[in-house]
Formats: sequence, C-alpha cells, structure tokens
Amino acid sequence: MLTKSMIDSMKNLKTDVVETTSTESFSSAFEALFQEHWAHVYRLLNRLVGDPAEAEDLALETFVRLYQRFPLRETEFNPGGWLHRVATNLGLHSIRSWKRRERYEMAAGKYALEETPEVRPAEILAQEEERRLVRLVLAQMNKRQSQLLVMRYSGLSYKEIANALGLAPTSIGPLLLRAEREFEKQYRALPGTNRQGRRAKEE
Amino acid sequence: MRKHLTDGELRATLDGELESERLQHLEACADCQARQRQLEVEHAQIARQLVFLASVDESVPAVQKVWNRFSQQILMKKETSMFKKWFTFPGVRFGAAALLILALVLAFPGTRALAGELLSLFRVQHVTVVPVDFTGMEQLNGAVGNNISQLISESVTMQKEPSDPVNVATTDEASQLTGFNVRAPEGLTPSRISVMNGSAFTFTIDRAKAQALLDEAGRSDLVLPEDVDGADVSVNIPSSASLAFGNCPEPSNKSEAERERQRETEGSGSPGRMYADCIIFAQIPSPEVSAPASLDINKLAQIGLEFTGMTAEEAAQFTSTVDWTSTLVVPVPKNAATNQQVTVDGVTGTLIERPSDDAPQFALFWVKDGIIYTIGGLGSNSQKALEIANSLP
Repeated sequence: MLTKSMIDSMKNLKTDVVETTSTESFSSAFEALFQEHWAHVYRLLNRLVGDPAEAEDLALETFVRLYQRFPLRETEFNPGGWLHRVATNLGLHSIRSWKRRERYEMAAGKYALEETPEVRPAEILAQEEERRLVRLVLAQMNKRQSQLLVMRYSGLSYKEIANALGLAPTSIGPLLLRAEREFEKQYRALPGTNRQGRRAKEE
Repeated sequence: MRKHLTDGELRATLDGELESERLQHLEACADCQARQRQLEVEHAQIARQLVFLASVDESVPAVQKVWNRFSQQILMKKETSMFKKWFTFPGVRFGAAALLILALVLAFPGTRALAGELLSLFRVQHVTVVPVDFTGMEQLNGAVGNNISQLISESVTMQKEPSDPVNVATTDEASQLTGFNVRAPEGLTPSRISVMNGSAFTFTIDRAKAQALLDEAGRSDLVLPEDVDGADVSVNIPSSASLAFGNCPEPSNKSEAERERQRETEGSGSPGRMYADCIIFAQIPSPEVSAPASLDINKLAQIGLEFTGMTAEEAAQFTSTVDWTSTLVVPVPKNAATNQQVTVDGVTGTLIERPSDDAPQFALFWVKDGIIYTIGGLGSNSQKALEIANSLP
C-alpha cells in the first residue's frame, strides 16, 4: 500500500525531476525513484503473475517505460500511481499470454512447495489451483475491471485508485462492486469450479 | 429522511471509504443495514479469493542487482534505437541488403591503391565489424537527424531503382534471374526463395552542407577536407537472392523502422515472438563502389568513426587495421551486440549476436568467391546459422 509518506516523497521527487536539467542529476533522481519503488512494484507483480523471474522482468519493463517518459513535465504526475497502473497492465497482459500462463502455472506450484514445506502439499496444490483460476479470470475480464480489482486487493485506497486511473473517488465503490460481480460470474463459468456446490457445502 | 444508500455506496462502507454524511444514514436505516449484511456475505467469498494479491513481506531481488540490470537494458534499448535510426535515412532503404549497403557507404572503402585522375573501383573480399556506441549519437533524433536525411536525399541520384522482391520456385530460377549461382543448404527446404533486382546510385558530396551539419551536431572539431566537395561516389548493387527458413515475414524493401511502425499500427506482436523460428539466408555479389582517386577515404572514415563517439586515437587505430580497398565494415552496437570470428564455408566469417529478453537476434557474415553471404535470424539459436553455412554444397 502507498503510505502518505511515500506519496509525499514522490511529490518531492517529482519536483526535483521537473527541475532537473543535467544528465547526472537526472540519472540520480531516477535511481532514487527506482530504489524507492522497486520492492513495491516487484511484489505486486510477483503476486499477480506468481512467478518470481517473470515478475522481475515485468518490473524492469515497468521502470523502462517510466524512464522513457523522463524528464517529467506534467506538474500533476504521480509516479507511484503510474507505476502501479502500468505494472498491473503488464502483469495482466502477461497472464493473458498462453505460453507464459503455462509457465507460471508450473512455476507457481513449484515455488509454493519450496517455500512453505510445513503445509501439506495437497493444501498447497488446492490453493495454487484456486489462484490459477483467479488469475485466469482476471486475465479474461474487461481490462478496467481487472485493474480495479488488482489495485484494490493489493492495498490501494479509493483515492489512490481514482488518481491512478483518472476516475472520481466516489465512482470507485460502484465500479468495484460491478467488477467483483463480473469476477464472480466469470469464475463460476470456468470449467472445474463449482462455486454454488461449494457454498452449499460451506453453509 | 435522505434516500437509501446505493449498492456502490454500501460496497464502499465495507472498505471504510464512505463519506461520513452518508454513514449517518446507514446508522439510522434498518433497510440499508440489511442490504449491507447481504453484500458483506457476497464480498467475503471474493475477498477470500483475491486476498493473495495483498502485500506481504516476501523477499525481493536485491535492488542494486536489478538496478544494474535495468541500466544495461536502458543502454541496449537506446543503442538499438539509434542503430535503427540509421536505417530510416533515404538511400539505404533496400530491405535485406540494407545492412550491407549501409555499411559499405559508411565505411567508404579506400582509394589509396590508385592515384591520378582515374576512378577507383572496390570489391568486397572480407568482412569486419566496428563496434559503435550509438548512444553517443542521440543528436540524430532531433533537427540534425532530419537535416542529415535531407542532405543524403538531396545528394543521392538513383540510376537504377531497386524493385520489390519477387518469389521464385527454385534456386535454379533464382540463379537465372540474378546471374550468379544461388546456393542452398543440403537437407533443408526453404519456405520461400526470393530475388531482388539490383540498383545503382551516385552520392555527390556537398562539403559546405556536410560541414554545417557536423557543426550543428556540436562536432565542429571534425573538419572535412576541402577537396571532398563535389566528389561523386557511385555504388552499384547487383541483384540478390534470399532463402527463408521457418515462418518469416514477407520480403519488403521497407526499412526496419517503417516495418516497426506498421506493426504498431496493425497491433501485431513483436517480431521476436511472431517470427521466432525465422532464418533468412541472403546472397549478393559484392557491390561495386567507385570514387575519385583523390578522395582521402582514410580521413573520411576517421571522421565518420569519431562522429560515432570513438576517440581520435581509437579511430586512427581502427582505420590502420583495415584494408579499405576490399573490406566491408559492418557497424554493430557496442553495448547491445557481441561478435566473434568463426570458420564457416571454408573461410573466416563473423558471427554477431544481439542478446535481448524479448527479441534476441544473430547474423553471420562471410565472403567467398566474390559473393557476400549473410544468415540472420531472430532468437538465440545462432548455432543454426553455422549449421546452414556448413552444409552448403
């Protein structure tokens, strides 16, 4: 989640960058931005695509795209929100690609087994299978709705989401609800899911 | 009493994001509270599934390590972009042969072997590479780049325009059309064979304009010799043939930059993914370059190399190692590509590899019996190029 101090520091950095003219200070301003946001962008992508190597590649690509926008001229540019939106898009695009999807499906199960040995493999596999299906649904949903879900569930506030997507903060609640209902509908339609049966059992 | 909360507003209450005025209504309204409980149940199931997207303190790759990787990627992208920029210049838009021709024009094979008023004639017998730091040529992106394009376009007179490539059925047919023996590797069937007619043009040097461009690019330390003014450099490019293996793009005389723009417009994927198994085997007899014998080609080559970012010492050292009368000098991006000498088809060739996460490329060059051969492809399987070259009859 982007804390207030992070947002404030980005605003300060933005001002520095706008005023930067020399190549050297431009480079060090960008490096500071990179160091500040790297972990956040990487973690978001790692959770989204479920493959550390892929997440690292996509996180780097996210920063390459930011670099291509430099030096920043927009006075209202918010690097944190921008990075979050572009990383989300790249992650969703990645899991839409069947080749990559095939790879992360295998990788996700493998890493889960390596990292949590105390949990029984059957539970891990069930959990990973569910995440795989969730990612499939996110990949096939309308782009704006997927963005909303990823941004909200990765911890952004309504104001931050609204800022990153250029929406009014009051519209986030209704849009989020619509996105969740669409998610539920598409999840239920996937072969291999039996949401209603599972619910009845839980009740 | 104010109107009931919408479903969207109720959803916002679950995240603690509803404004306080509307919350007051919720606290007083049993109907809204009942709907909120219903929504909460609906939300809980979805939240349970998406919760893995929430931040946890999982380990991340060391920031310094990835910063170094990032810096390298930026360098390579910049360099590749500048490298491609050369190919947008008029006069070098001849499809598969563009690299060869461009290299030839840039390298200006020398004249020192002949003297007097006679024209010198050069033929390619060897290939060598010159690593160039194209990131130092960012000035080409702005007005200077446009002015260079304009100057080249004004200075080039086409005697024979290149035609669009034509597909043929067999290598025999290709040999007949091109006038030289087109070779094919044994045991491999090309997916397409095409030939392209030759072309010819003359490049007339306008010293004043060329020097003004150097000055504009901030390189007034590079001074063109007075006697280059009005010199005509004639280039005659013979017909060529190319054999495609795997799924390859249709041959085109458009530049790489133009093709990239087309792919973007059409929304198609990167060539690295679309043509991952494509290998093109191109063959062309040596182009002929004529220039006045009085032209100091070594001096011009030195200026050209310094313009690309080499120091005067580096440029002088390189020019002294090259036999300009018979060597095709291929500029390759210094940071984005590697090159090595290999034995191929019984002679020494050069293998250039450009590693990349999304679109690695390789190219193998060699010259044998007056014919320049190149095998290029996408992907990192450069070994395939050597196999093709070594299975030629």
